[in-house]
Amino acid sequence: MTEQTALYVYALVRHRPGAADGVTGLDDRPLRLVPVPGTDVAALVHDASPKPFEGADDQVRRWVEQQSRAVTTVWERTGGVLPMTFNVLVADEEPAQDPAGGGRRAEQRLTDWLTGRAAEITERLDALTGRCELRVEITVDRTAVTARETRTDPRAAQLAGRSAGMRRLLARQQEQDVRNAAGQLADTLHAEARHRLLSVAEDFRDRGRAHRAPDETDVLSAALLVRKEDIDTVGTVLSELRARHPAVRIRFLGPWPPYSFTEDGLGMRERDGTAEAVGGGTRPHPPGV
Amino acid sequence: MTDGRPPMRPTRDPRVTLDDLVEVLLNKGAVLHLDLIVAVADIPLIGVSIRAAIAGMETMLEYGMMRDWDEATRAWAERSAVRRAIDLRDGEGVVCRMSGGHLLTEGIYTGWRPGTVYLTDQRLVVLRDEPREILWQTELGAVRAVRLEPERTVGGEERLRLRLALTDGREERLSAREPGKLRDLLTDACAGRLDGAFLFAPTPEEETLAEGHLWYHEPRRGGPLWRGGQGRLTADTLTWKSPVDARPALVLSRADITGLRRLDERGPAGTGGVLALETTARGEVRLAADDPEAWAAWLTPGRPVAVTG
Repeated sequence: MTEQTALYVYALVRHRPGAADGVTGLDDRPLRLVPVPGTDVAALVHDASPKPFEGADDQVRRWVEQQSRAVTTVWERTGGVLPMTFNVLVADEEPAQDPAGGGRRAEQRLTDWLTGRAAEITERLDALTGRCELRVEITVDRTAVTARETRTDPRAAQLAGRSAGMRRLLARQQEQDVRNAAGQLADTLHAEARHRLLSVAEDFRDRGRAHRAPDETDVLSAALLVRKEDIDTVGTVLSELRARHPAVRIRFLGPWPPYSFTEDGLGMRERDGTAEAVGGGTRPHPPGV
Repeated sequence: MTDGRPPMRPTRDPRVTLDDLVEVLLNKGAVLHLDLIVAVADIPLIGVSIRAAIAGMETMLEYGMMRDWDEATRAWAERSAVRRAIDLRDGEGVVCRMSGGHLLTEGIYTGWRPGTVYLTDQRLVVLRDEPREILWQTELGAVRAVRLEPERTVGGEERLRLRLALTDGREERLSAREPGKLRDLLTDACAGRLDGAFLFAPTPEEETLAEGHLWYHEPRRGGPLWRGGQGRLTADTLTWKSPVDARPALVLSRADITGLRRLDERGPAGTGGVLALETTARGEVRLAADDPEAWAAWLTPGRPVAVTG
């Protein structure tokens, strides 16, 4: 068997024999676990040709959905998971890299590499076990921000005798006033929502929004790492916020495998979000400060 | 804390979550060592995700993903390598150029788009450097008025922006490395055509009474963290915002502040710099200031709202 093979890696999980049984991934390929010898860790993979998955947007969306479904299923069976990003493929070693001829096969390369990092991977899996990622997106619907909260009289823009240019100017002014009122409401809501969510979440990352609506002002968009038993507590915070402010719109997604909280495991990604935070009062201060 | 309302339930329905999953799976999730990963034309695959992370979701959505996106990237690179300067018309001359940007307020996003501002004897143009594209431009004849205007940046700093009123009623805002110089040169270039004064009022903003660097002891499930940011006090409100957060983490009505104590403990600003505010909304809120005397005076409850120098 000299043809080149590769492994498409979905996730690193606690090795539970049988956890991948019946699970399919991209294009319905059957998945299997590759145990890392001497550890409790396994890689969830399918056997692939060493070619990346490329395609039109709709095709990529289907693959993403299939990958996410597969990872979620195995995550629920094993409890802890370090999900991979899309298109992580490990190929056979180029023969040229090994003077003895015939480089290592993909599976050997993958398990060699994972064996060397088993301690940090296990530690991260432990930290993520029983936790999930929730996505919270809060916005203010500007069409529901009442005229009372804005400064100008909307009728001013309709006044007869105005030139077209002036009418447009006043309409823009009116729109700006609504934006300002929504912005102030958004500041207050953000402070309140962040405060309450931080009391529940174990980790919190500000995230960009994937979903945008033209008449909405962003309040908060975050990925939360939450213990599974605390999902309803987050849900209660959100339902109360929504009940108190009629202009509030909330998207609440999950529970997902902790995609946004894996970077510590393999140390390849920059932390984002609250990286500037200083340790909780225990940080040593420079002498003399 | 609860009022018996049923908790919102998160959804996993792919019809709702797929865009978010695409974003998170392309941008997040773990990666393996680069040496292990299959490369396409010498570009490790992870490059797709990293570039996407840098470019952000708007760019991904704007240019499509994966294959489409990569073709666009390649096209940008080719175009930008060929020429970076502005395409001038016959007889058009550049008056000045400086780094700057244009505030896009149309369509689905509002945001500063950085680039280079070119003032020519015919046009005012904001050009994105790479990929090269005209972000915004106007004929000088269409400029009705120009004014410098302060704006608070995300980091809490105050910057001068250039606000333009155009003859069609539209208003635009530009940033520039030297806003005063640009205003002067633009006024000269439009000589005699500009209105003496803006017809419209500036956007009102609550007057800032005090402002400066403050630490906020932000409560968290795992214990509070001291975070650095900008405090701002108006007649009604104290806000605190970290430069990495999109919005303030603390918005306190001054009427909610019922007491203030100076603590003798060590904080991020040194010993004695910690202020404990008693509030009705948040309980005790701890702040630390490099200048605790001034903040303590400003924040003391019952103090008249007008702070005088």
